[in-house]
Amino acid sequence: MVNPVLLIAVPLGLAFAIPLFALFWKGAAKYIPLAALAFNLVVSVLLLPKVLENPVIVFIGGWQPPFCINLVAGPVGVLFSAIIALVGLLVSVYALDYIKDGPTEKYHMLYLLLLTGATGVVLTGDIFNLFVFFEILCISSYALVAYLRDKAGIESAVKYLIQGAVGSSLLLIGIGLLYGQFGTLNMADIAQNIKSVSPMSVFVPMVLIVTGLGVEAAIFPLNAWLPDAHSSAPSSISAILSGIAIEVGLYAVARVLFTIFGVSLNTTPSFLLFLALLGVLTLLVGEMCAFSQNNIKRMLAYSSIGQIGLILFALAIATSYGVTGGLFQLVSHTLSKALLFLAAGYMIYQTGSLQISALEGMGRKMPLTCLAFTIGAFSLVGLPPFIGFPSKFLVVRAALATKETLFIIFIGLALLGTVIEGAYFFRVVQVLYFKGEKPNPRSKDAPVTALIPMFILVVLIIVVGVYPKLVTDVLNSAATELLSRTEYIKAVLGSIL
Amino acid sequence: MSFLNNYAYYIGAFGLIFIGLYIILVKHNLIKVIIGLGILDTGVNLFLISVGYITKGTAPIFSRPGIDSENMVDPVPQALVLTAIVIGVAVLALALSLAIRLYQHYGTLNLRKIREQRW
Repeated sequence: MVNPVLLIAVPLGLAFAIPLFALFWKGAAKYIPLAALAFNLVVSVLLLPKVLENPVIVFIGGWQPPFCINLVAGPVGVLFSAIIALVGLLVSVYALDYIKDGPTEKYHMLYLLLLTGATGVVLTGDIFNLFVFFEILCISSYALVAYLRDKAGIESAVKYLIQGAVGSSLLLIGIGLLYGQFGTLNMADIAQNIKSVSPMSVFVPMVLIVTGLGVEAAIFPLNAWLPDAHSSAPSSISAILSGIAIEVGLYAVARVLFTIFGVSLNTTPSFLLFLALLGVLTLLVGEMCAFSQNNIKRMLAYSSIGQIGLILFALAIATSYGVTGGLFQLVSHTLSKALLFLAAGYMIYQTGSLQISALEGMGRKMPLTCLAFTIGAFSLVGLPPFIGFPSKFLVVRAALATKETLFIIFIGLALLGTVIEGAYFFRVVQVLYFKGEKPNPRSKDAPVTALIPMFILVVLIIVVGVYPKLVTDVLNSAATELLSRTEYIKAVLGSIL
Repeated sequence: MSFLNNYAYYIGAFGLIFIGLYIILVKHNLIKVIIGLGILDTGVNLFLISVGYITKGTAPIFSRPGIDSENMVDPVPQALVLTAIVIGVAVLALALSLAIRLYQHYGTLNLRKIREQRW
């Protein structure tokens, strides 16, 4: 059997080996992320059938939990690590040609570190370890946002860094308070003992931790950094930030709330309602801001905020349907938004402008790239037969199944958000295909290293959209793992209970 | 006075945290904001240390026979703080290098004047 710890160790080791390889052959740098992520993808896919039966717990250092740092490779962890490796692999193929200027070996090192941090967050079973991997993810993304070293990039990176650093300090204070009360950092051990103290004294750390993670997950009042950072980073990095970094933040919020603090429909319905309200607010604010943008990357960034709101709302329903729908929506957003940013990257490269109006008539100049963009846009809006349709359908069904008036009002508002989303995406598609006749002799389609990842994403979007059964089993058991905390505690601490 | 004696470290730690947050929220100069981040980090680290601290405690090392484990301070928060300090250094170093670039582009470090990115 493959040890899940390799999912973190191999990319981490290779990331720091990149400068060494680059000493001998400068071109080697860009192939190393490719190799590391291909390895991760293979290992995750091999592990997946095994962890669907029983989660694999790895003890590090030879002690039993709760005394050691442990990794929990359950369905959620392995599903996320597979998605991270898949999208990371495709984007690193895209970056082979896309990243030409600047200190490229540093780009590839930071890129691999970012994905290692993300994989670590989803696999770890120790709350301080979660903080450390989160910081690896954040620090490398601060640096990558500023990679182009232009005015906009530096300004956004400074904003992102200040807000992110305050967020991680709040997270660390919350972790310190939890340690002070329970004397342990193991998530399962804290979860087991959380009932033994008064609810008020865990409320403060819970708020601090959710706020801290919420900055990275871009939940509504904490998301001022996102549109700047996502729009001024290189497009390959925007794809990763939008497709993976904020999703990992949301995963951490869900894991902390459901597993550690035991938030559920029976015990704390009002807190879940508050989260659902935040989700809907995030969605409406994101979609309305996206509607008024003229800059295509800012529009996509605001649309990410909207999607995050929808996922948060679905997770806050906290039924098995709701969480399944939320995870499905998360997967569909990752694939569609990565595709949109990758396609937009070369369209911007060709026109040299970020304005939507500059894209007039691109449908004839770059037919394949524009087709990919259109499919991504349709999928995000939720048109059949693309992956966005079954995922949105599941979320709507879950909200209706609660039979609570408030949730039904909320899903109505969310569907209103979808209508706005449709409006601005169709506007772009219209500009691409039905406007302008400016002949441009210089323009040609994107290079083949960009077309291959886009093609694979398009195939995945359509195949999963037509046969959602391919993923629903995995998503169902992932949702079950997130919701059933007693199973989680038993799996981790079972050997000493 | 016993209250002060018992909680002096917590009061100091949260004092530093609030001073740091105040500086980050109020000051216009990026260098001052970065100093605020540093103070915030220090406050968090002091807080973590005081979680595991025992008055007149010793280091948790069995250096000679017969040493009493009752008076040992908790080593876990110290390990956490070591990690947190390293992370803090990385963030501050990155922030300062970004400040250099920002000054090269805009000729100022006043964050109220640097407003090209808007909603």
